[in-house]
Amino acid sequence: MSMEVSSGGLAPPGAAEAPRAVPSRAGTLSHPANWRRAASHVASVVAPVALPLLLLGLVASAWEAMAVALHSPLVPHLPEIGKELARIFRGGHFFGEMAVTLLRVGAGFTIAFAVAVAAGIAMGRQKTVAHFLEPAIIVGLTVPGLVWALLCVIWFGIGLTGAAVAVALSIAPALLLNILQGVRAVDAELLEVAAMLRLPLRKRLACLWLPSLMPALLGGARLGLSLAWKVVVLVELFGLSSGIGYQLNSEFGAQNVAGVIAWTLGFAAVMGVLEYGVLAQLEHHLMRWRRTAQV
Amino acid sequence: MSSDIVIEGLGKAYAPRGGRRPAVIFDGLDMRVEAGQLVALVGPSGCGKSTLLNLIAGLDAPDAGAIRFDGRARDSRLAMVFQQPRLVDWLTAEENIALAFEREGSRPRGDAREMVRALLRKVGLVDHAGAYPQFLSGGQRQRVAIARAFAVDPDILLLDEPFSALDELTARRLRLLLQSLWGEADGPRPTGVLVTHNMLEAALLADRIFVLNGHPGRFAAVMDIDLPHPRDPEDPALFAIHRQVLHALGEA
Ligand SMILES: Nc1ncnc2c1ncn2[C@@H]1O[C@H](COP(=O)(O)OP(=O)(O)OP(=O)(O)O)[C@@H](O)[C@H]1O
Ligand SMILES: [Mg+2]
Repeated sequence: MSMEVSSGGLAPPGAAEAPRAVPSRAGTLSHPANWRRAASHVASVVAPVALPLLLLGLVASAWEAMAVALHSPLVPHLPEIGKELARIFRGGHFFGEMAVTLLRVGAGFTIAFAVAVAAGIAMGRQKTVAHFLEPAIIVGLTVPGLVWALLCVIWFGIGLTGAAVAVALSIAPALLLNILQGVRAVDAELLEVAAMLRLPLRKRLACLWLPSLMPALLGGARLGLSLAWKVVVLVELFGLSSGIGYQLNSEFGAQNVAGVIAWTLGFAAVMGVLEYGVLAQLEHHLMRWRRTAQV
Repeated sequence: MSSDIVIEGLGKAYAPRGGRRPAVIFDGLDMRVEAGQLVALVGPSGCGKSTLLNLIAGLDAPDAGAIRFDGRARDSRLAMVFQQPRLVDWLTAEENIALAFEREGSRPRGDAREMVRALLRKVGLVDHAGAYPQFLSGGQRQRVAIARAFAVDPDILLLDEPFSALDELTARRLRLLLQSLWGEADGPRPTGVLVTHNMLEAALLADRIFVLNGHPGRFAAVMDIDLPHPRDPEDPALFAIHRQVLHALGEA
């Protein structure tokens, strides 16, 4: 049912795009190989934008189809969600709340990241430190974020500290595990080169350790951020009177499903910008030395 | 001022790993390299040549005996060309070479950029200054590694089969470059150890050839090459030495 509607709604834009783009170039190119190359060039430019949009469109159409079929206040129509979105974005309301949440995530993330990098390098270099800290990672990984959220609200009351500590505690183990694997993968032969060249510690960190750890750091940052959001929302829901989590809870209390969805969408959009706009660009730039296999 | 390399009663064994018996590589090895000499170290694969260079470079610790650099006026500057290029993948060819100038406690010696350029010119890679190692060919990477070792301006230079990945013409050019490093009258010559499987290369460059063989490794022969420098790669005397070394290897 939903598929039927979605493909009906989205096939025309997708189908119209390809023929429109290709013939206009093919007119200037006589050879079929050039034609194919031009087509694949267009595809490589259009695909990264068009395909995610296609997915979004599909999901939106499926949702609307469900709303039509169920006809229930629990599944609001797209226009209702749009109205809610407009409401929360009006007057910078959304961005104010988002900034509050971002600050909490940022504080917790920074603490966890610093601790994980230091502990990760220590554990990777010293077996005793590794044996000492390993149980903490195992336990830390199994404790649900919900528990940290509750405990931190109890211990620290309401405020930035509690939220930051809860976020840090929930993401540090996963981050540490990631970085530890990165440290163990650092090329021993390059460390010998550094020893041979008698590089000072500053240079070793900047030229060897940091770049070697970069994939682990970026992977850890992704993982950490995604875990951080889940926990910060819980803390805000339990103990705070601001932030995305608090707003979600108050919409929930008012039984405003469209409101809950609108806040979630705004939140997801900011995450998307962080992921595609910041992390992916950063990774692309930092990894430019890497040759990718052509097979 | 370059230094003697003095090795006395060297012992080295690798701990057993994965069901293998402990491997005794050296047991009471003695060796002496005079300051300013270039010696060649030849021997079959697996006899411990790279291990010996690592021990000299201080990258590995001996189980017994001692390695000393005698007659040094300052802290010995040591450079090594490893058997594999071992370049830093995220630095360009140029930056990899410039890394040698970052040595702890060393003051800049003139224009680093210009010195890197000069070295790149010597190894024939000016056009690839900005290339990342993964985009270079195997031989090009090896040449960057050689340039990096020269950039150290070493008192002690250790070379582990530096030219084996190169075509004959490039190898020949770089051998002459190495020879000129010892031939240049001005400035002190480094003390060098060159590991090679190419006996003619050993005969061309070395003042002395150490033939390493057996388990644990011993010197089956030590040959002084008394031909004057610089030598001509076509000199028939080199072929005679070539035969002698092969003979010494066969005897052991
Ligand atoms: N880290 C290590 N652990 C255990 N055994 C090692 C280690 N490094 C080398 N060996 C062993 O020591 C022996 C000597 O190795 P080495 O690399 O010095 O040989 P080599 O003379 O340089 O040989 P090639 O000419 O093939 O380079 C080999 O049998 C090798 O298996
Ligand atoms: Mg070797």
